[in-house]
Amino acid sequence: MGLTFSRIEGNSRNFKILLILLAGFTVIGFICFMVSYISGHHVLGSSSIIPWGLPITITIYLIGLSAGSLILSALTYVFGKEEYRPIARLAVYLAIILIFGAMIGIALDLGRPEKSWRLFMFFVLNNMRSMFALNGILYGGYFLIGIIYLGTIFADKHEFIKMMGKIAIGWAALVHMGTGAIFGFIATRPIFYSPIKPFEFLSAAMVSGLALLIIVVAATFKFTKRNLNKEIIFSLSRLLRVLIIVLAVMVLVDKLTHLYPPDREPTIWLLTGPYSWIFWLLQVGLAYVLPLVILFHPQYRQTFKGVMVAAFSVVIGIFGERFSLVIPGTAYPLPFYPGKIEGIWGMAGSFPITPIEFFMSLGIFTLMGLLFLVGLQNLELLPVDEIEQQTSEVAKKA
Amino acid sequence: MPRWGMVIDLDKCTGCQACSTACKSENNVPYGSPDDQRRRRDIYWNKVIAATSGTYPRVNTEIISMPCMHCDHAPCVTVCPAKATYRREDGIIVQDFRRCIGCKYCIVACPYGARSFNSREQKEEQYLRPDLPPDRNVWGQWPFPTRTHGVVEKCTFCFHRIDRGMKEGKKIGKEVVPACVEDCPAEARKFGDLDDNNSEVSRLLSSRAWIRLREELDTKCKVFYLLK
Amino acid sequence: MKNRKVRSSNETEQNRVKLNRRTFLKLSIFAGAAIGANQMGKPGAHSASPLEKTSRRALEERWTATSCLNCPARCGIRVRVVNGKAVKITGNPNSLVSEGKICPRAHVGLQVLYDPGRILSPSKRGNREKGREIDPKWIPISWDQALSELTQRLKSLRDVAQPHKLLLFSGLNTVSSEDVIARFADAFGTPNIISGNGLDIETEKSGNWMADGHYTGTAYDLDHTNYILAFGADILESSRPLSRFLRKWGRLRREKPNRTKVVVINPRYSLTAAKSDEWVPIQPGTDAALALAMGNVIISENLYDTDFVNRWTTGFDSYKKLVLREYSPVAVSRITGIPSEVIQRIAREFAQTRPGLALRGRESINRPEGSYISYAIFCLNALVGSIDIPGGVIYQENPKYREMPHRVVDDIARRAKDHPRIDLRGTDKFPAAEVVTNQIPESVLEGIPYPVEMAIGFNSNFNMFAPGTERWDKALKKLPFYVHISPFISEMALYADLVLPSTTYLEEWGYDHSPPGSGFAEARIKQPVVKPLGNSKSVTDIVFEISKRLGGGPAQSFANVGDQSEGFVKFRTETLMPWKEFLEKGAWVGKEYEYKQYGRIFHTPSKKFEFYSGNLKSLNSKMRKGAEKDIDCLPNYKEPKFLGEKEKYPLILLPYQPLLVVENGSQNYPWAQEIFLPMDGVGWETLVEINSETAKILNLRDGQAVWVESPSQKIKAKVKFSEGVHPEVVVIPSGQGHYSYGKWQKGIGVNPNEIIGVDYDTISGQAAFFNTRVKVYRA
Repeated sequence: MGLTFSRIEGNSRNFKILLILLAGFTVIGFICFMVSYISGHHVLGSSSIIPWGLPITITIYLIGLSAGSLILSALTYVFGKEEYRPIARLAVYLAIILIFGAMIGIALDLGRPEKSWRLFMFFVLNNMRSMFALNGILYGGYFLIGIIYLGTIFADKHEFIKMMGKIAIGWAALVHMGTGAIFGFIATRPIFYSPIKPFEFLSAAMVSGLALLIIVVAATFKFTKRNLNKEIIFSLSRLLRVLIIVLAVMVLVDKLTHLYPPDREPTIWLLTGPYSWIFWLLQVGLAYVLPLVILFHPQYRQTFKGVMVAAFSVVIGIFGERFSLVIPGTAYPLPFYPGKIEGIWGMAGSFPITPIEFFMSLGIFTLMGLLFLVGLQNLELLPVDEIEQQTSEVAKKA
Repeated sequence: MPRWGMVIDLDKCTGCQACSTACKSENNVPYGSPDDQRRRRDIYWNKVIAATSGTYPRVNTEIISMPCMHCDHAPCVTVCPAKATYRREDGIIVQDFRRCIGCKYCIVACPYGARSFNSREQKEEQYLRPDLPPDRNVWGQWPFPTRTHGVVEKCTFCFHRIDRGMKEGKKIGKEVVPACVEDCPAEARKFGDLDDNNSEVSRLLSSRAWIRLREELDTKCKVFYLLK
Repeated sequence: MKNRKVRSSNETEQNRVKLNRRTFLKLSIFAGAAIGANQMGKPGAHSASPLEKTSRRALEERWTATSCLNCPARCGIRVRVVNGKAVKITGNPNSLVSEGKICPRAHVGLQVLYDPGRILSPSKRGNREKGREIDPKWIPISWDQALSELTQRLKSLRDVAQPHKLLLFSGLNTVSSEDVIARFADAFGTPNIISGNGLDIETEKSGNWMADGHYTGTAYDLDHTNYILAFGADILESSRPLSRFLRKWGRLRREKPNRTKVVVINPRYSLTAAKSDEWVPIQPGTDAALALAMGNVIISENLYDTDFVNRWTTGFDSYKKLVLREYSPVAVSRITGIPSEVIQRIAREFAQTRPGLALRGRESINRPEGSYISYAIFCLNALVGSIDIPGGVIYQENPKYREMPHRVVDDIARRAKDHPRIDLRGTDKFPAAEVVTNQIPESVLEGIPYPVEMAIGFNSNFNMFAPGTERWDKALKKLPFYVHISPFISEMALYADLVLPSTTYLEEWGYDHSPPGSGFAEARIKQPVVKPLGNSKSVTDIVFEISKRLGGGPAQSFANVGDQSEGFVKFRTETLMPWKEFLEKGAWVGKEYEYKQYGRIFHTPSKKFEFYSGNLKSLNSKMRKGAEKDIDCLPNYKEPKFLGEKEKYPLILLPYQPLLVVENGSQNYPWAQEIFLPMDGVGWETLVEINSETAKILNLRDGQAVWVESPSQKIKAKVKFSEGVHPEVVVIPSGQGHYSYGKWQKGIGVNPNEIIGVDYDTISGQAAFFNTRVKVYRA
C-alpha cells in the first residue's frame, strides 16, 4: 500500500503551549484528587443517596469511547476496509489512552484508591459474581490486548494483526457490555434494571467512539497539517447515523418498558422531574435528534462543518446519556414502605458539581490529552503522504 | 449453625428512636452536621422512617425502624468486588473495613438504604470508644473505632457481642443481644436463631402475621416486622 | 499512582518505542508491588480473625450504677467506663420504675458529659452590658474568688435583714440538690425558690387536688390497664417518667392477653397518636366538654361503677345533674368538632373496658381553664372506678430519706419568711398555686411585691422554656446581680454576672426519685462515673460551700448532715439500705404497692373522691370572690380564652415538645439533633406544620420560609404541609432556637416560646402555652 506512518515533530510553539496547558490542568486535577483523598469524599458531590458521581460517569463514558474506537479500527485490520487505514493506528492508540483514562477514573471514584489493586485479584480475593470484579478482568485484559494489538501493528505482522483485531473486537464488545451489565443487573434501581442495558451501552459505545474518532482524526490531521481524505469522514458519518438510529431505538424500547408497571415512578421522575433536562436536552436532543437531523439533511450532511457539528453534538450528548443514567438513576428515593416517606428518607437526592470534583474530572481528560500528544510525538501513528513529505523537507530546509 | 434474625414488633414499638441512639453509642458511629444531613452524607446504621398515608382526619403514619436486613440473598454481597461484604455462616452480612475499597456498588445495590458511605475524616476527639483498639494499623474486621473515611458502613447485628457471647457460652437472644435490642425500652425488638424452634423469634413468627420490607425483591431478608 | 513521565532523550526511534513500552510495564509492576508490600507490611495484617483484641494497652473497665438527669424522670442507668472515659450508657435492671429500660435521651448523656462547649472554670462577667447578642466577655477566676464574692453579697443581704430579696431559680436538678437548695433557702431566709414546675404541668396537680386532695402529679398502674384515653397526652414523647411509659407500652400492647386499646384525643397527630389505635382530632381547648359529654353518656347508659361512686365519692348528684343537663353528646359535638356517635362510642368503650384510664397531658390542660379541664378529665377515672385499683390511678409513695436535723433558722431568716412570695403564689392572683414560674419577669420588672437584689440560677434556663421570652430577657437584664450555676453557658447565663461551672449528672453525688408514676417508692443513687471535668463542682457541694462560708444559721444547718455531697447522700439514704449495697445496686425499691386503700388515700375535706370539690369551695370562700357559684366547684367547661382576635390571627399555636429535647437547658448534642423530628424524618430544624388545606388557602408552598406571628412577636421557619394537624392549628416543636453557645445548637431552628403570649391558669399558676393565636404568611 505504500502508506508509511511517522511521528510528529512537536516543535511548534502552539504544541508546546498545549502540552503545558494540559499538564497544568492535570496537575490541578491531581491536587484536587489528593484533597479528596485526604479529607474524604465530602468535598465531592456524591453522598449516601447518590453514591456515584462525575468520575464514574466519566469512566463509563470513556470505556464506551474506547471500545467504540477499537471496534472501528477493526474495520481496517479485520474487515480489510483500506480507505480507513490512514486513521486505524490512531484509533487503536486512542482506544488505549481512553481505557487508561477510564481506569484512572475508577481509581478516583473509589473511597480508598490505595486498595485499587484489589480489583485485580481475580478469583483469589475477588467475588467473581460481582460485575465490578468481572469488569476488572475485562478492562485489564482489554488494556493489555490493546497494547499488544498496537504492538503487532507497529511490528507489521499481518497474521497477528488480524488475529489480535478479531480478539480486540470481541473483547471490546464484552468490555462495554460488561459495563452495561454493572448497571443492568441491579434490581434495586428501576432505571438501571434492564437486560437491554449491555446492548444499549454497546451501541452507545459505537456511536460515541465513532463520533470521537471523527473529531480526533479531523483535528489531528488539521493541526499536524496532514492531508485528510474527506471521504473517510463522510463515510464514517454515514455509518454514524445508522448507529445513532440503532441506539435511539434501544433507548426508546428501554424507557418504554420502564414506563409500564411495576416501578414506574423513577422513570417518570427521570423524564419529567428536575433532572429531565439532562435526558431530553442532552441525551435525546444532542445525541440523537440534532445529529440525525444534520446527517439526513440533504445539504448539511455533505458539508464537513455539518458532520463536525454532528459529531460534537453526539460526543456531548452521549456524555449526557451516561450522566442521565447514573445520577437520576440513584437519586430517586427507595420505597421502603408504602406511603409517603417523610423527610430526608423520602427526598430525591441532589448532586451539586463541586469545584474539586470538576477539576478532578477535567484532570482525567487533560491527562489523556497529554498522553495522546506525547504518543503522537513518540509513536508512529499518523500517516505520511508524499506531498506532505516533500513539504516537510522543504520546511526543514527553510 | 445458627441463622441470626431479628423481629421488630411495630405494635410494641413506640417510635422513640432509642435503637438508633443506642447503636450510635455502641458502635461509635460518626454523627454529621446539619449540612451533612441535607446532603445525605451522614451515617446511620439504624434509621427510623415515617411513612404517611391518608388525608386529614384519616391519616396514618407508620414509624418503622430499619437496621441492615442481613438478607440471605443479599444484593450487596453479590456485587461487592473485593469480598469486603460477605455472608458469614451464621447469616450475618459482614462488612470488612479492611477490604473495602469504597467503590460504593453495594450502596447502589442495597434496596433498604442500609448502607452509608463514610465521607469525612473524623477528628480523634469525636470518637468515644477507648476500649476499641485505636490504631489504624491494627487490621482486623472489627473493631475499627476511628474508621477511616472512604469505606462503606452498615449495621453488623453487633456481631462483636454475639461472637464474644458464643465464646463465653452465653445464650444469644436472651443474655446477649445487639445493642438496639437491648436498649429498646418497649422490648419491641427480638433477636435470635431463626432455625431454632425454641427461640423467641421463631415463636413470634409463628404466632403473628409478619412482613418483610420490599418482599417483591426477594432478598430473603432476616429482619421481620410484626404489624399493629 | 501510575505516572508517565515524558521522555525527551535522543535515542533512536526503535529504542524509544521499546523503552516506552518496557518502562511502562516495569513501572506498573513496581508500583503495584510497592503498594501491595505497603499493605502487607503493616503489623497485624495477618491477624484477620474477628475478635482478637490486638490492642496493646491494658484496658480498665467498670460499670457504675447511677441515674440520668436529661429530664425529670431521673431513670436508673449503668455507665460503662473504660480507661477513665465513659463510653456506653444502658439501663439499670435494679430500677423497677423503668424495669431497667431507658429512653434515647439517656444515651445522649455521653454527649452531655463530653460537650465541648462546657465551661470548666468559674467566670466573671467582663462586659457590663447585657443582652441577647452581647458578648459577656467571661474572665476566668478561681473558685475561691468566685465564692468569696458570692458569699460577700449574700452576707450583705442578711446584714440589712433583707434575705428575702434573694431569688433562687431551680431548673433541672437532682432531688438531693433540690433538698439542699430548699434547706439553704430556709436557713438563709428567703421564701423565693422558683422551680420550673410552673412551666410544666401544674394544672394536672390542681385538677387532682380538687378531686382527691393530692396536689401532686398522677401515678398510673399501667401494668393492668385495658383502655387508655389520652387527652392531649403525648404518652410516648413527653410523659413522666418516660422510660416507664415506653416499657409499659410494649407490655400493654402485646405482653398480656388483652391488648390495651389506646385512643388519643389531640388537635395534632402526634407520635403517640400514630402508634395508638384511634386518633380523635378535637377543637383546641374543648377537652373538658368532651370529658363531660363522656360522663353524660356513661351516666345515662348506666355504665359507671356504682359501687365505687356510691361508697367513695361525694358530689356525684351535682355532677350528674350538670352533665346530663348541659353536656349531651350532640351539644358537645358542636363545641369540639367530634361527631356525637364517636363521643358515644368512645365513652361506652371506655366504661366497658375496665380498668380504663383517662390521662391528661400538656396539650389539653396548659391553658387558662386548665385546672377545670384537668378536673373534668380526672373525674372520668372515678366514674369507672379506676381509683387505686390495679390498672387505675394510684398514689405515689416516696422514699423516706433520713430526716435531717432541724435547720437553724435565726431571727433574720424567720422574719424574712413572713414576706409574700415573689411569684405571688398564695395571693388572690394565684390562690392555690405552689409556684408561678412565669410571673417572675413581671415581678422583677415592676418590683412587686418587692425588688429583687440578687438571684442564683441552678441549672435553670427559663428565658428559653417559658412563654414570652422577651420579658424574661428584660427581667434578667434588670437583676442587680445574677449568679448562674450550670455546666454550660445557657441562654439564662448570658445575663449572669458570675458563672459557676457545675458538674453534669454523671460526675456528681446525689439521690433521686422519679416524679409520680410508679406507685411504689424507689430511690436511686447518683455517683460520679468519672472525675468531674475541669474545675466543675456539683450543685450540692457549691451550696455546702456557700453555707459554710456564710456562717451563722446557714452553716449550722449544714453541719450535721454529712460532709459535702457524698456525705450528705450517704446520710440521707443510709436508712434505706446499706451504703455499699446502694452504691452497687444503684436503686432501692420500696415495698409493693397496696391497692384499694380508700380509707387513707383521699385528702379531701370529705375524705372521699369529690365530684363537687370541697377544696375549691374553701378556696373560693377564702378569696371572698363574692357569690360563690356552685358551678365553680364542679368540673365544667369554660369557653377557651385565646390571646389575639380570631379575625386577625386565625390559627392557634400548638407548641409541642418532641422526645429528643434534652431538658437540661442545652441541645448541643448531635445524636439528639440528628433525629429530632421522627414524624417528619428530619433533624436539626424547627418545622411549622399546617394542615395542607389550610396552607393552600393561605397560599403557601410546601417547604418555603414563613413568618408565624402572634400578637407579641414573630418567628421565621420552614413550613410543612401535614395531614395530621387540625385545620385551625399550627404545630411547632419546641427545643430549638438556642443562641448562647454550641456548634450543634446555636442558630438552629426557632423557639416557639418567643411568640407565646402570657397567660395563666390562675388556680395553679401554670403558664398557658396553648392559647396563643397566630397568623402565618410567607416570608
